Amino acid sequence: MNNLTSQQRKFVYLGAILLLLIPIIWLGMPADGTPDSGGTISRLRQQLDLGESDLGDLDPSGAAMNLALLGLRGVAANILWMQADEQKNYKDWAELRVTTESIIRLQPHYVKVWEYNGWNLAFNVSAEWDAVPDRYFWVKEGGKFLQRGVERNRRSPDLKWHVGRVYGPKIGLSDEARFFRRYFYQDPDPQYAKGPDPEFNNAGEDNYLAAKRWFQVANDAEKEQRQSIMDRSIFRSYPARSQLDYAAALYKYGFREEYDREVGDRKLTDEEAKALEIRVREKLKEQTRQAWALGLEDWTIRYGQELFAVEYLPGIIVQMRLEMGEDEIRSLGKSPDGIAQLRRAVDQYQKMNNYRYWRTRALCESEPETAEAHWALFAAGEEYRKQSPAARTFAEQSMALFEKTLEKYPELRDEDNFVEEALTSVLVWSLYMRLEGEKPPEMYPLKSLWEEKQERVPEIERRFERDSRAAY
Amino acid sequence: MNFDAVPFPVLYSFILWAIVIGSATSIVLVISLMATIVSVGVRGPLVFANELGAMVGDLISLSPRRIFALAQLTFREAIRRKALMVFVVFAILFMFAGWFMSSSNLAPEFQVKIYVSFVLRAISWLILPVVLLLACWGIPEDIRLRSMHTVVTKPARRLELVIGRMVGYSFVGLIVLAVMSVVGWGWINRQLPVAAQSQLVCRQPIEGGLTFLDREGNPSEKGINVGDIRMFHSFIEGATKARAIWTFNGVGDQSLDREGNLLLENRFQAFRSHKGDMRRSIYFQYTFVNPETNVRVPYPLKTIDEGRGRTDRINRTLVNVGESADGKKYDIVNDLVTKSGQLTVEVACVDPGQYLGMARPDLFVRTADLPFAYGYFKAVACIGMMMLLVIFMGVSVSTFVKGPVATFLVFSVVMVSYTARDFMGKIVGDPFVLAKAREWSGQLDMQKLEGGGVLESIYRILWHMNPTTDLPVGASTTIMKWIDAGLVNFLWLVYRVIPNLDYFGQSMQYVANGFDVRFDACVLPCILTTLAYFGPCVLLGYFALRVRELEAK
Amino acid sequence: MSTTGQPREAVIEIRNLTKIYRDFWGRKKVRAVNALSLDVYKGEVFGLLGPNGSGKTTTLKMLLGLLFPTEGEIKILGQSASDVRKNERIGYLPEESYLYRFLTGEETLDFYGRLFNMSGADRKQRTDELLKLVKVEHARKRQLKEYSKGMTRRIGLAQALINHPDLILLDEPTSGLDPLGSRDMKDLILDLKAQGKTIVMCSHLLADVQDVCDRIAILYGGELKVLGRVDELLKTQNQTQVLSSQLTPAAQAEVEAVLKKHGAQYQVDHPTANLEELFLRTVQESKDRPGRRLIADDPANKV
Ligand SMILES: Nc1ncnc2c1ncn2[C@@H]1O[C@H](COP(=O)(O)OP(=O)(O)OP(=O)(O)O)[C@@H](O)[C@H]1O
Ligand SMILES: [Mg+2]
Repeated sequence: MNNLTSQQRKFVYLGAILLLLIPIIWLGMPADGTPDSGGTISRLRQQLDLGESDLGDLDPSGAAMNLALLGLRGVAANILWMQADEQKNYKDWAELRVTTESIIRLQPHYVKVWEYNGWNLAFNVSAEWDAVPDRYFWVKEGGKFLQRGVERNRRSPDLKWHVGRVYGPKIGLSDEARFFRRYFYQDPDPQYAKGPDPEFNNAGEDNYLAAKRWFQVANDAEKEQRQSIMDRSIFRSYPARSQLDYAAALYKYGFREEYDREVGDRKLTDEEAKALEIRVREKLKEQTRQAWALGLEDWTIRYGQELFAVEYLPGIIVQMRLEMGEDEIRSLGKSPDGIAQLRRAVDQYQKMNNYRYWRTRALCESEPETAEAHWALFAAGEEYRKQSPAARTFAEQSMALFEKTLEKYPELRDEDNFVEEALTSVLVWSLYMRLEGEKPPEMYPLKSLWEEKQERVPEIERRFERDSRAAY
Repeated sequence: MNFDAVPFPVLYSFILWAIVIGSATSIVLVISLMATIVSVGVRGPLVFANELGAMVGDLISLSPRRIFALAQLTFREAIRRKALMVFVVFAILFMFAGWFMSSSNLAPEFQVKIYVSFVLRAISWLILPVVLLLACWGIPEDIRLRSMHTVVTKPARRLELVIGRMVGYSFVGLIVLAVMSVVGWGWINRQLPVAAQSQLVCRQPIEGGLTFLDREGNPSEKGINVGDIRMFHSFIEGATKARAIWTFNGVGDQSLDREGNLLLENRFQAFRSHKGDMRRSIYFQYTFVNPETNVRVPYPLKTIDEGRGRTDRINRTLVNVGESADGKKYDIVNDLVTKSGQLTVEVACVDPGQYLGMARPDLFVRTADLPFAYGYFKAVACIGMMMLLVIFMGVSVSTFVKGPVATFLVFSVVMVSYTARDFMGKIVGDPFVLAKAREWSGQLDMQKLEGGGVLESIYRILWHMNPTTDLPVGASTTIMKWIDAGLVNFLWLVYRVIPNLDYFGQSMQYVANGFDVRFDACVLPCILTTLAYFGPCVLLGYFALRVRELEAK
Repeated sequence: MSTTGQPREAVIEIRNLTKIYRDFWGRKKVRAVNALSLDVYKGEVFGLLGPNGSGKTTTLKMLLGLLFPTEGEIKILGQSASDVRKNERIGYLPEESYLYRFLTGEETLDFYGRLFNMSGADRKQRTDELLKLVKVEHARKRQLKEYSKGMTRRIGLAQALINHPDLILLDEPTSGLDPLGSRDMKDLILDLKAQGKTIVMCSHLLADVQDVCDRIAILYGGELKVLGRVDELLKTQNQTQVLSSQLTPAAQAEVEAVLKKHGAQYQVDHPTANLEELFLRTVQESKDRPGRRLIADDPANKV
């Protein structure tokens, strides 16, 4: 060493620094979300399933940042938050995205930070764009962002639930649901060649089924660590809810989605189209019914039989299930006071969760007749649009079936969704008769309901007309 | 562009500058004259005059060789004290740059924006602290180590010492800046995803003036406000007589592209009051108007591309098939541009119940692009100007306080400039700050902040008086108002002494958004701001060095 | 030197100079120099003596305009101390070598040369000359931070001489130098004097001062205690010293006989370093009897 010149020595040092950097990078590089990516530490962490919250502050990039900032992490994070807010005001989304990334580098273990920013991207930023594909892009950004948060905070049930919310309600319930649901398996970005974005929907499944999986994962995590979002009994209902939502969405959007998927880029003749329509309808009839049946099972058995310890009154904790029969209440309640209390608690929680409504709905929808009725009504609507006489046949068929259902489940009389559908079937029927110049007969199915709920008819008519105008 | 770039008011600023320098100098002179009289007695004025004479003498006997020697000394000092270690940090930062930019799914123009602003920001954030520390510690260290004793006992003027320091640090800074910017430029070119490379341009827009017609067709200054937090953009309602009218000056054959198309680029925004047809964006329509001949030629409906903007290549020959449809062919340059080279474009929103949002820079004629490097290095030059400004302030301040204090002081000035300057501007009623605030708030009649001065406010708070009640008449009120007026005047001076750093930051925004950095609205103000501080900083530093003993205290 | 009684040109005139160091709050801390008045004449070597902290350096710094006098006046080379133009003809060696440690020996001299607006060729020549003169030529390309104390001192001296100054202010020029270096320094000073330059030096090495200085001033606590020509100050009024070399014992006996004949008391001895005695005595007396001062200046030397 001694016979080196000072310059040579400096080069040796530089070489040594670089050499030392190699293992640091090799060890410390953060993962980019895909399995087996990133440096050794992060790979090991993935393999051993060591969430950050177990080990504390181990995110190498975060630690490096902290070091680089001389411990001024908090100050830097604050500045970034202010910047993000300003960028939002300036509608500077690209910059906002980068700022978000930096914030998360500084605060990778604050669940709330992930939550807030993910929600901001998926809900706020998305809504600022006019083109639906752009909106979808930002929903995806939010969803992916939250999933990265989950990786960093494996044990947090909250983040997992929020991912589920993006997959479920955000995609399935927004105004753009019709588009979002399609984009979910046919991404508008040309780079995915009409397939799904593998980073967001690897399996190409339905958004609600993806949501259901995430909510289930959140439920599993919730067994280990408390969630802080909502009442526990509601939180745990989400997998089952997603199944029910899935079934409802199939009915609402499924036909067009399935039809277009079948058609693809082909050009169909009228006959082919007709045949395909029938085939798709038949397929969906079964698929929907099964979805509802599974939903019923999820709702009443998996969710309904879960045991909740709830603080019914201050200081009084009762153990209960939502699906609790009178017998069970009696045997568990012991004293008359206890029984009354338990009964009230169950009742209250059922109301809070809309439990009974979904139970009845799932039960009735999983009956073959109801499925039949739905799809007959759907066909009636389609045929009415084409002004084909089949509209009347289908309408009458569905009216009869709805009538039967109503006889079986009288409580549906006051159930909005059912009433709307039943009334729509009568509406289509009467509209078609009007078209033909016929007068409705004295007696027809659902007559009493139709007369009883007359005040709702104009609204339902408006909705029907709008829906039949809006070509998918 | 995301802000309204207007030409820098050179004359106005110069007059302001002269006033500020004049008043600041007189304050300093008066105070020092009084100090001399207090310390030397009746001979004070004479001594003072002598000193002043000597200072002027120094000013005119500057020697370039000595300045160069001092600058070189400064330069060597910085280099040999390892200031160039900043390159190591720079290199490391870029090695880990990917950590900050993992979202590679964004659209290409956003990628460009992210990469470019990352590089420019990294450069300025690295270089500014380095020059700040260098500039603020140089002279105090020189005094502390007494090495300055051997310099000032040579014929070197203290003025030359200040200038030499400034020049030396500027050299160091400029070299660092040059290396960093070239590396950064190469990095952008190499690192940017291929898809985004084509977006790496330097647009040369012709910007126009914007006026509006309201929904009844009456002229108005602004459109409708749809509840944005920042009301920079105003909106016109669809399917009404509401229009946004741009007039572009200096449009001619040279403004068209090689195939003879007029490139109109817009950044319109949409606001939907109902869902409408979600499969497409909102329709808008351009109508070319020649006010001299009353010819109106509409262009086919187009949908906006919110968030990205769209460019229409409009063939110079347009067929009139619109409202005044005469089926004739019109040539944009010959028939639609007025003799004085003015092109008027009316924009209408077509969808009923929907709104189209815009601000002045949101529609422009895009003339032939220049290479990205052109705008990039202009922005770098602006960063360089800011760096020089920091050096000047640092050296100047360090002549009368120690290194840490000087660093803190200059840092605070920069911070105050970024955070509180606008607020102060509103209090003292700076028309430009008010204009900016109006742009934000959408309130066109916004005036300077009311509520009286400090004492008056305290009085009102204590006595629960609201600002509309008149104060009781009397001597105390008068005195209070006098003091308040004095305070506001002082605040005015402070406000004017704090540099306006907006322009330096704007230069980055231009390039990041793919635009050329406008000379009259950005480069020029950067240069002038820096120049405006050079003289006063030199004088202040000189004055301070001259009136102080060069002994470490 | 001159005893002709001709008025001589004063290069430095100090009148009633006082310096009070104050702290940050303006409170008085030290009165470093008190009512000092003295002149330095052209062509002489003037020594400024005094114990540590007696105000020598402070006085020099005021002469150079590095410090501002609290009271009093200074004229140096006919100009005021705050006037930079006087620096053209002044060379200053600070107490410690306050040089730029990151420069090499060569760069240092080149840098200071440029401050005098010297042309490139002049600088080159002068640098070579001076490096040779102060004997650090071998280290010309090394940074000063690698220099030993003595070497730095030598470069310091070289930079003080770069402009062929007429007036040279040396603050403890021999401190840190080896015996050979001190010797060289003394020779150099005498050499400069021979060239007609005026030199003011502070030093604690009294032997050196005695060797080279024409006149000295002794400060104590910021006050002037002794001022005068070295030879006169050391002359004791009722004593006569006969100095001789190569006196044979026979000759010595003869001289003694003569002295005896005149009835004088005498003592045959070797001479001692008297400046040291003077210095110690002055310091002692100033401690015992503050306010006393001895001015043995030749009135003819006054302007
Ligand atoms: N910067 C200063 N601030 C305050 N007091 C000072 C300062 N410099 C010197 N003094 C004081 O002034 C007095 C004279 O100091 P000066 O340096 O002139 O002494 P000196 O005669 O050169 O001593 P030495 O022989 O040790 O060099 C001392 O009491 C010293 O403490
Ligand atoms: Mg001293």
